[in-house]
Amino acid sequence: MSFRDIGIKIQAAREEKGFSQEQLARLVGCSQSALSNYEKGKRRLYLSQLEKIAEILDKPLEYFVASLSSQHHSQPVADRNQRFVTIVNHLSRLTDEEINEVMEYIDYLEWRRSGGHK
Amino acid sequence: MMDFSLTKEQQELISSVKNMASKEITPFALQAGETEKKKMLKSLARMNLLCPTVPKEFGGLGLGLVSSALVVEELAAASPGLAAIVAATLHAAEPIILAGNDQQKNEFLPLLTGREAGAAAFALTEPEGGSDLNIISTYATAEQTGYLLNGCKDYVINAGIARFITVVAATDMLNKKASLRIFLIPGHAAGLKTEEIYQTSGINLAPVGRVKFVDVGIRDQYVIKSREAGSGYLLLTQTFDVGRALVSALAVGIARAALEHALHFAENRLQSGIPIKKHQAVAFTLADMATKIEMARLMTWKACWLIDQGEDYSVASAMAKLVSSTVAQQVTCAAADILGARGYLQGNLIEQLVRDARVLSTIEGTNHIQRLVISSQL
Ligand SMILES: Cc1cc2nc3c(=O)[nH]c(=O)nc-3n(C[C@H](O)[C@H](O)[C@H](O)COP(=O)(O)OP(=O)(O)OC[C@H]3O[C@@H](n4cnc5c(N)ncnc54)[C@H](O)[C@@H]3O)c2cc1C
Repeated sequence: MSFRDIGIKIQAAREEKGFSQEQLARLVGCSQSALSNYEKGKRRLYLSQLEKIAEILDKPLEYFVASLSSQHHSQPVADRNQRFVTIVNHLSRLTDEEINEVMEYIDYLEWRRSGGHK
Repeated sequence: MMDFSLTKEQQELISSVKNMASKEITPFALQAGETEKKKMLKSLARMNLLCPTVPKEFGGLGLGLVSSALVVEELAAASPGLAAIVAATLHAAEPIILAGNDQQKNEFLPLLTGREAGAAAFALTEPEGGSDLNIISTYATAEQTGYLLNGCKDYVINAGIARFITVVAATDMLNKKASLRIFLIPGHAAGLKTEEIYQTSGINLAPVGRVKFVDVGIRDQYVIKSREAGSGYLLLTQTFDVGRALVSALAVGIARAALEHALHFAENRLQSGIPIKKHQAVAFTLADMATKIEMARLMTWKACWLIDQGEDYSVASAMAKLVSSTVAQQVTCAAADILGARGYLQGNLIEQLVRDARVLSTIEGTNHIQRLVISSQL
């Protein structure tokens, strides 16, 4: 997640609402070029500005900052954190060699998710 | 319209801080131990200078960033370590001032004001790294009425003395950046432990250490924007943009102290029958030092002014920090050259300032990170 990702989400939500950049900029109270830079990720957004944009575009703040990968997760956050802790506990008991094997398996899973491309 | 003049209030502020520093800080700064440090912190508290940005309704001076930068420059010129204690406190308070609710402001900000004021700490960096937010492993598990915090934060200024620590932690380990939250942890919280205070090369008055959190229970009301998922990352980057402008002011103060010391030496040290300042090579070095400091100060003021105006200040504060920290390192080394051999002795002011300036390109985001922040917005 980066300011570029946030910008992409702003553009998508703006287009979903049918606003032009000029229209949204006017409602937010910034210039069209500032909004264009927000969408390109070339200008940092401050919390109060994104809160305003979120309100106008009828989206929760989380929509803009959640990374795309998080949308693949189906388990609730607390469950996943608990599982994460369990995994770390298991890892701490492994030998260096076993950890290398785990790393290889993680590489394989990532390779498989990317459709087999490097 | 451009105006570089200071207001009457700002001039009076500088002169009162200078006056206090010349009597209560500068004479003891080089050799200060714990007793002197306590006295200096008392002096700051007496003038309500530990966190000058705290609004008046919470007991603070309610200063804007330009005025706060003036204070930080003066303190850094007297004692960089003491200024670092103040800069860290300002950083810790900033998320509360920017986005805290009334209850958070009422509970935490008065701890930094008035005669009994103490310092606060801001904790983001971890043993595994500070530049990459994705490495954060301090995590807060959501409970029914709040969170349970576990993890470790490293190189924390004001560790062990902070009235509270503003801690950045993830609440979803698989989506770290987006799940970041800012937690306010009272200094006496159960499960909070200062593991170690480091021997640092410079800014020695400021305690820098490692803190550990073991099942620290945090009530919902101690989480900034607790109901607004996704707010932590934006608040964090915004807070850093403010903090950078203040570290920039700290750098200007260090550089200024080095110039003043080197100038005084150059006017009084005789070589070949004349003061060394009359040798063009030394005079030009001093001219370059003064010019660079002016550049750094103007960039600092511009960043602070933009913050005070509510304008976009991200690039300006990153540029100011990049330039001022570099200038402070160059100017302190140039001052050491002017002083000759004595500038290399332990206990000499310049030798200390060289070490103080060294940390400026690391804290508040390394200078590589400043370049990333700037270039991503070009
Ligand atoms: C005296 C002192 C006081 C401090 N006070 C605090 C404090 O109060 N609170 C707090 O949270 N932290 C504090 N810090 C920590 C400081 O913010 C970190 O040291 C800093 O962010 C760098 O993190 P790191 O040391 O883990 O280095 P790393 O992040 O491991 O970086 C190592 C090197 O790699 C470079 N690098 C890393 N990533 C990139 C990249 N993407 N592109 C280019 N270069 C990169 C860095 O610039 C650096 O040169 C303090 C540090 C010191 C020394």
